[in-house]
Amino acid sequence: MSEEYKWGMVVDVDRCTGCQACVVACQVENNAPLSSEESFQRRRPMQWIRIERYWEGEYPHIKARFLPLLCQQCGNAPCEPVCPVYATYHNREGLNVQIYPRCIGTRFCANNCPYNARFFNWVEHQWPPVMANYLNPHVTVRPRGIMEKCTFCIHRLHRAQRQAKGEGRVLRDGEVQPACVQTCPTNALVFGNLKDPNSRVSSMVQDERHYRLLEELGTEPSVVYLKKVVPGGRAS
Amino acid sequence: MALTRRQFLKVAATSTVGAVAFVACSTPQDEFLIQSPVKMPEDLVAGADNWYASVCRQCPAGCGTIVRVMEGRAKKIEGNPLHPINRGKLCARGQAGLQALYHPDRLRGPRRRVGERGSGQFEEISWDEGLSLLLSRLKELQGKGQADTLLMVTDPVDGHLALLVKRFLRAFGGQHLVYEPMEPTTLTTSLQRTFGQDLIPHFDLENTQFLLSFGADFLETWLSPVAYGVGYGQFRQGNRRRGTLVVVSPRFSTTAASADEWIPIKPGTEGVLALSLAYVILSQGLASPQVAQAMTGGAGVGALESFRPEAASTITGIPARDITRLARDFAQQRPSLAIGGGPAAAQSNGLFNLSAVFALNFLVESVGQRGGVLNNPSPAIPDVGPASYNSLADWVGLEERLRTGQPRPVNLLLTRNANPVYGLPSQFASALSRVPYIVSFSSFMDETTAKADLILPGHVYLEEWGNSVPNPGPGFETIGWQQPVVNPVGDTRSFPDVLLALAQGLGGETERALPWSTFRDMLWEGAKSLHQRGSVRAADFESFWIGLLQRGGWWDTTARGGQQTTKAPVLPREPRLPSFSGEGDFHLILFPSISLGDGRGAHLPWLQGTPDPLTTVAWQTWVEMNAQSAQKMGLQEGDVLAVESPVGVVEALLYLHPAIPPGVVAMPMGQGHDAYGRYAQGRGANPLSLISLPKDSDNGSLAWAATRVRIRKTGQRVKLAKLEGFVTPTQLPGTEIVPEAQVTR
Repeated sequence: MSEEYKWGMVVDVDRCTGCQACVVACQVENNAPLSSEESFQRRRPMQWIRIERYWEGEYPHIKARFLPLLCQQCGNAPCEPVCPVYATYHNREGLNVQIYPRCIGTRFCANNCPYNARFFNWVEHQWPPVMANYLNPHVTVRPRGIMEKCTFCIHRLHRAQRQAKGEGRVLRDGEVQPACVQTCPTNALVFGNLKDPNSRVSSMVQDERHYRLLEELGTEPSVVYLKKVVPGGRAS
Repeated sequence: MALTRRQFLKVAATSTVGAVAFVACSTPQDEFLIQSPVKMPEDLVAGADNWYASVCRQCPAGCGTIVRVMEGRAKKIEGNPLHPINRGKLCARGQAGLQALYHPDRLRGPRRRVGERGSGQFEEISWDEGLSLLLSRLKELQGKGQADTLLMVTDPVDGHLALLVKRFLRAFGGQHLVYEPMEPTTLTTSLQRTFGQDLIPHFDLENTQFLLSFGADFLETWLSPVAYGVGYGQFRQGNRRRGTLVVVSPRFSTTAASADEWIPIKPGTEGVLALSLAYVILSQGLASPQVAQAMTGGAGVGALESFRPEAASTITGIPARDITRLARDFAQQRPSLAIGGGPAAAQSNGLFNLSAVFALNFLVESVGQRGGVLNNPSPAIPDVGPASYNSLADWVGLEERLRTGQPRPVNLLLTRNANPVYGLPSQFASALSRVPYIVSFSSFMDETTAKADLILPGHVYLEEWGNSVPNPGPGFETIGWQQPVVNPVGDTRSFPDVLLALAQGLGGETERALPWSTFRDMLWEGAKSLHQRGSVRAADFESFWIGLLQRGGWWDTTARGGQQTTKAPVLPREPRLPSFSGEGDFHLILFPSISLGDGRGAHLPWLQGTPDPLTTVAWQTWVEMNAQSAQKMGLQEGDVLAVESPVGVVEALLYLHPAIPPGVVAMPMGQGHDAYGRYAQGRGANPLSLISLPKDSDNGSLAWAATRVRIRKTGQRVKLAKLEGFVTPTQLPGTEIVPEAQVTR
């Protein structure tokens, strides 16, 4: 394990408004295929981060709750041991990494992910030629037949780390952010180094509102959520 | 000995030599176990990226951007962290700007109509040809003394572009109309009347304690959503005490979903509720005596007798005890802030509603206070102001002028990125056919451009110069500076540059009014008055200009709006009730889509593929109907419903909505395009075609929340394209999916 870095994210559900800025930012950054009408009808939109919306209660005492959901970068990831070709593995900085050239498309990992955070390329994705101009050169365009998922924008991490290493230092808190975190208008998403005791995420994971999704499964996610606050509501 | 890979690994893994060799190479053990077999393509990318600061033009808010450019191609748009409006953040629409730049259906060069008008048959011509065609038309008008029959229709233009357009038309003749389907004239008029300011004030919701919104969907599309989003995050968890948000609205909007409490109200009665809150505040002595005197014209609370909670309750449908409770919270948890818009404004009594709502801020003394309503200063450069808007009344007047030719006909229409043919009632499109010559400067073949005789396509905003004076501003003088981040993709030209070229071609007074050869020169000269103060400090102007472009704008945090001088308004004594069009069983509320807006974003597949936050539907037009009432009518999700108003019928898919009041149906705007590129054309329905022109309105605005409709089942069904149901939520026994915490501070 790396001495310097363990990447983590904090999602403050009390700040999230469900505005979808993170969803589009992620697609732009990561060369995501265009989610067509048909892909939604077949329940196959490729959204590495999505906003899940839950209804609670009955009209008129009804609430909608937004839950940004992305790969939880589990410390004890169910997706990893089932890959027969080591396409999905745990890197030294606590990330579940998908090595596209190794993937043979068994989809075992997606089957085993309790968060439904993995996406399979059922078709070869096409862009009209002129649109290919905006594709990010630092992210592989995934071909048909392989699995993909949120990477915490690992290409951004790598580039920033190389830069910092050249300058003989470690990354400063907030110096690098995934695309979703960078754009989030309400600052509901915060990203940083859990190994750095002074980072914002390190202090935020101590918040009394903290919880992890499906914590009982023992997956040890690197994404920590902060509970929605309800004035005078029930304690949990 | 030849060593195969397999043998090498065997040796390496089992022998001490191997272990030593690998330790010596300092490859950690875990990497040795699963070494990637190939380099990933992204590890081999050479070259550096450049970042350019500019301005987002996907909506009129004027957020600052920084754009990542590699090898001459724009790769990513981010928020500009220095810009005081959006502070480094951006919304989904801003993120999707790259697809406008690299859109396969962009107009790539000048064209002249060859077939029938509207037939879509054009031939490609050169810019020289196109410009001389237009110039000869302009000279002809001038020669005949008909220069005043020129009409220019644009999207909201601000900064130096607005000045350029104004000067051009003042010198040449003719009229300018700004097309903005969500025209905020009801809002600006009520703000002007209440606070005495021409500019929209800075609503300091970041620092407020109690925020009361009457239909102002500030987390979606209202005025400046990113600025308010940043403020909202702070309001929730950034301050010492968590702020409380209450939303009053006839529809459960995305903003209402984020509220601590949503209070459904009968459409158009928001003003009555606001005045009832005022009644409670005054009758319970929760306002200062001076304010109470001033706002009742000295008459005291008796002046508001018609708004007693019991009376207001029958009108608004809200229980009297809830009105009293809300009034007490609003008055006691200061600083408190009341804002209004959306369906409260889009009514025949919109002005009454909003004026009553904004007046509440005087009652709790939030005007001019931190956490309340703060004035914005007048623009930093005189004459270089924010966009101005035309109300629907102006368009109704234009329709009549086009139809009758009185008082003057329109002989030449110039249009740029404005699409009234899509957004206005259909009689407008037919009136437009009477204009002898139409020239479009738009970047896309929208419904209005399809009717043009000559197309001189403009740049997309990422390719051109400009500046923006955001309205609302952040409370101090601010100008965003827009620079091109890439070379033009097609054979297009910047609209202001074309206007300047026309001015030169025309000569005479028009040329003298606009003595610049490029728009950049005009901006350069205009920036000189900003030198020597504000956020960009430089000894000489050249360095100042570079600093201005690097920062993406200029602001002066010391140049704030003055103190409030307008007196608190006297509250009305009698309610003004809304009138609706149509007789159907359901009240129809339209709303601008969070991704497509009023339809402007419909050509971008990223935005089409963005699910609506509440229904999670993408790509389609749906009707939100209360789930229980729909089931009673025997309707199922995906049923194609015909929605009928007195002026039109549209078909859309049913979404069973658990949170919309029974008796109300809602539809998103944005779809139903006849043109506008492959991703927008022939998709969904345009519910604006259900809205009739207002008859007895107090504001002359389109009342898009004041129509009653009939709902009919067509018998067809289409599968909804929605994210909901994408996965079955996993819920462990004894746990909640989205757990809640009580207020702890």
